[in-house]
Amino acid sequence: MTNKLDSSDRSEGDRARSRAYQLEFWPGILAYAVVLTGVLLWGDLEGDSPLRFLWAVLPVIPALWIVRAVLRHVGRIDDYQRVLLLQALGGGFAVAMIASVTMAFLEIAGLTVPGVGWIIYSAGMLGWIITGAVVGRQ
Amino acid sequence: MKNNLRALREDRGWTQGALADQLGVSRQTVNALETGRYDPALPLAFRIARLFAQPIESIFTPEDSNLHP
Repeated sequence: MTNKLDSSDRSEGDRARSRAYQLEFWPGILAYAVVLTGVLLWGDLEGDSPLRFLWAVLPVIPALWIVRAVLRHVGRIDDYQRVLLLQALGGGFAVAMIASVTMAFLEIAGLTVPGVGWIIYSAGMLGWIITGAVVGRQ
Repeated sequence: MKNNLRALREDRGWTQGALADQLGVSRQTVNALETGRYDPALPLAFRIARLFAQPIESIFTPEDSNLHP
C-alpha cells in the first residue's frame, strides 16, 4: 500500500550525495577523455618510439582520479547502498572473469580476437550496469 | 525481522525521504527497511530507536527463524 508519504523522489541527502559524487566523478572522466584524445592524436602507439609505452599508460593518471571519486562515494553512502553496490560489482566481476576465461580458451583453440581487452572491459561494465539495475529494483 | 517503521513514520506525517534525511541514509534504504528487505546494523537501529524515542525491541521484532541458530 502506498500513499503520498511514500513518494519515490530522492531525499535531500540523496541529492547532496549525488551532487558531491558528480562533482568529483565528471572532472575525472573529462580529464580521461582529454588525455585519451591526446594519446590517440600524438601518442603514436603503433610507432617504434620507446616513449609510446609512456603514452599508453598516461590515461592511468586521470583514471586514478575516477577511482578516488568512486571510493569517496562509497565512504558517503550507507550500509544498504554499499550492499547493493557490492552485488553490482560482483556481477560485473563475474561477467568479466567469464569473458576473460572464454577469450583465453578461444585463443588456445586458435581463434585470435582483436581488441580482446576491450571486449572483457565492455562485458564487465555491462555486467556491472545490468546487475546494478536488477538489484536496485528489488 | 519485522518492524513497524512505516507506521511510526506515517504517524508523524513524514515522507520516506524526510525520515531518510533524519537518519542519514538514502530514501531507498528506508524503503528497504520498511518492506523488510533489509535489517539495519546496530548503529542505524539505535539511531532509529533514538529518533522515535522507543526501545529497539518495540520497533523491531525478530521472526522465529531469527531466534534459533
